[in-house]
Amino acid sequence: MNFKKSISSLKLPHYKSTAAKASVRVAPPSEVLLPMNMHSGQAAEPVVAVGDYVRVGQLIAREEGRNSSPVYATISGTVAAIEPYESEPGRKTQAILIKGDGKMEVDPSVQPPEIHDLDSFLAAVRQSGIVGLGGAAFPLWAKLDAIRKGPIKTVLINGAECEPFITSDHRTMVEHSDLVVKGVALLKEYLHSEEFILGIENNKPDAIAEMQRVFADDPAVVVKPLKSVYPQGAKQVLLYNAAGLVVGEGQRLASLGYIIINVTSLAKMAEYIETGMPLVSRCLTVDGSAIKEPKNLEVPIGTRISYLVEACGGLKEEAGKVIFGGPMMGKTAYSMEQPIVKATNAIVVMNRKDAAALEPSACIHCGRCVANCPLGLNPTAYAKALEIDDKMERYALLDKEKVSMCMECGCCSYVCPAHRPLVENNREAKRFAKKVKTELQEQEKEKEGGK
Amino acid sequence: METNLILSSSPHIHTRDSSRRIMLDVIIALLPAAIAGIIIFGAKALGVIAACVITAVVSEALFNLIVHKQQTVGDFSAVVTGLLLALNLSTNVAIWQCVVGSAFAIVVVKCLFGGLGKNFANPAITGRVFMLLAFSTVAGGAKPAVVELVSSATPLELLAQGSENAPGLMELFLGLHGGAIGETCCLALLLGFAWLLFRRVIKWHVPVIFIGTVFVLYLVFTGSFQMALAEILAGGLFIGAIFMATDYVTSPITLKGKMVFALGCGLVTFIIRYFCAYPEGVSFSILAMNILTPYIEKFTANTPLGGSKNG
Repeated sequence: MNFKKSISSLKLPHYKSTAAKASVRVAPPSEVLLPMNMHSGQAAEPVVAVGDYVRVGQLIAREEGRNSSPVYATISGTVAAIEPYESEPGRKTQAILIKGDGKMEVDPSVQPPEIHDLDSFLAAVRQSGIVGLGGAAFPLWAKLDAIRKGPIKTVLINGAECEPFITSDHRTMVEHSDLVVKGVALLKEYLHSEEFILGIENNKPDAIAEMQRVFADDPAVVVKPLKSVYPQGAKQVLLYNAAGLVVGEGQRLASLGYIIINVTSLAKMAEYIETGMPLVSRCLTVDGSAIKEPKNLEVPIGTRISYLVEACGGLKEEAGKVIFGGPMMGKTAYSMEQPIVKATNAIVVMNRKDAAALEPSACIHCGRCVANCPLGLNPTAYAKALEIDDKMERYALLDKEKVSMCMECGCCSYVCPAHRPLVENNREAKRFAKKVKTELQEQEKEKEGGK
Repeated sequence: METNLILSSSPHIHTRDSSRRIMLDVIIALLPAAIAGIIIFGAKALGVIAACVITAVVSEALFNLIVHKQQTVGDFSAVVTGLLLALNLSTNVAIWQCVVGSAFAIVVVKCLFGGLGKNFANPAITGRVFMLLAFSTVAGGAKPAVVELVSSATPLELLAQGSENAPGLMELFLGLHGGAIGETCCLALLLGFAWLLFRRVIKWHVPVIFIGTVFVLYLVFTGSFQMALAEILAGGLFIGAIFMATDYVTSPITLKGKMVFALGCGLVTFIIRYFCAYPEGVSFSILAMNILTPYIEKFTANTPLGGSKNG
């Protein structure tokens, strides 16, 4: 019997109409646009010049600075431009435009990496250009690098895929189970991890069955079916529900001997080690109320959204909103000509009606945001704090209410009957609290320095 | 480049619930009690209800118009306040008194504090308490139109006096006795409770804990099951526990807080009824707990997962 407190979660409509659809490869696009900030750390640095001929898998931008990741040509062709690009309003970077020749010629440098120990393994993962493909975009090598600080006893493999619409991880598990097995073998061999927990929501029975089949003889791997509730795949929620673990505020997961890897990231890693082909393409779900034929597509990274939409039969209605990722945490695109990036696991195109904004009204203190926060936070307190004029008083309240823990999963906004923009508030409050905290720490340092 | 795409913060999907729908559900849940009140107390009850509801809506609309605020009557919260106030009045009250009380509830208790969500006390309850103090006709029971009764005194008054004319349990449950329009028929109120639970507007905890506390305390202090049952069925306990102690705006935000709030309501109601000369106590207990809500919220806040308490 388990008397553990259960985490609040939402029963969302699944909209997983593409779950049974095998991923399809489409003809390569005539051009790709590759932004330099496709990962969470510092932007990559272009190493090609305009006019250069590049082949698939050829390095076109090297990693530069902290938590960076290299970028490879995803089609063969000519570098047509290296131009400024805004990945979202206000987030500026450079992007490399490649005009394809349709040949998809593979670069001769694409050779399986030589691996004989941990260092060469981590170096290979670093070169693969793989980042968290579930949407986090954190470089995979940097995550695995935690091994240098202490053993990684348990690897949680995230196959929950709790966001509505998205089925790309689902397809990975069904179509590339061999790669998942190889990925686990690599981590066993080089990280000496002893335990693997593969969490999958129970709305993917075929993925669960396939994973149970391939890991039937491996006692180190536990395939853990999870309830299909949102946000089952969020770090803290998955940890709690799949491993019964709580990572404390400000505590690093790796310090407990755990890491979480998205299942597609793991499969791509295995593929790179096997073939030497770095991250140049990915499977993603194209769906939403405005899409004629929702599909899972295997496409080069950098493909423009409009090309993907055409590959899905085009739009059946005028597009109201285009989302990179799922509808709960995804970011809106400002143009159909924006490219998909490494971490784009879905493109959701909503029609005008579904995209229409709801008019916010006064908070009626119903407490649904509080009751539905997976982490037990209090979004109404953040909204109230933002109305406080005094900066330090505002910071004190936000800090006390632990705004920094908010993972922006969207549950509070989803349930709010007054349609208040709670996640937006939380984000603003988080930014403010972080800024003040840094300022305070710097003041503290200066004081100490003055002594 | 298209610029006609909507840019917005996540999440991009939303529950179908709205504040307006919640208010509508509360109104629907109050309808059985209102209908029962009209059947039991006659056409005058309908007049009181109409006067309170119309005044509530009109005074909120006028207030918004005068202070140039966005019109808010469309959220139906004024209808809820007016209806709830009316159901807590006896038909002895004059129509002009209804108008004054309802306008007071909306303008003074709600609008002046900033409108829906900003008031610290429940407008309907505060309006009723204001009327209790201002007019003597509010508290006493009206004689039901459908049954022959010797006295129009409320059963709580009769129980307090130890009168032989106190109604039986079934009469109490069906509401065939003196009292406020909407408070007497427990059956109708329970139907409303069921609707609120079905629509997930409220959880069961607050009404059950509130009523349960009063019941248990009476059982312990009087030793009489009959007496304890009569005490919870008579008077405004059901309507207060189901519809007023569960008001979102004026009760704590966490479930833990709501449970403490309900326990407090039950305790204060019992103390007023049992130890004081005053036979009612529900309105005052809820009002008292409304005032304590910020303090209850302080010690009933959730502990975030993995977060240390009170940082």
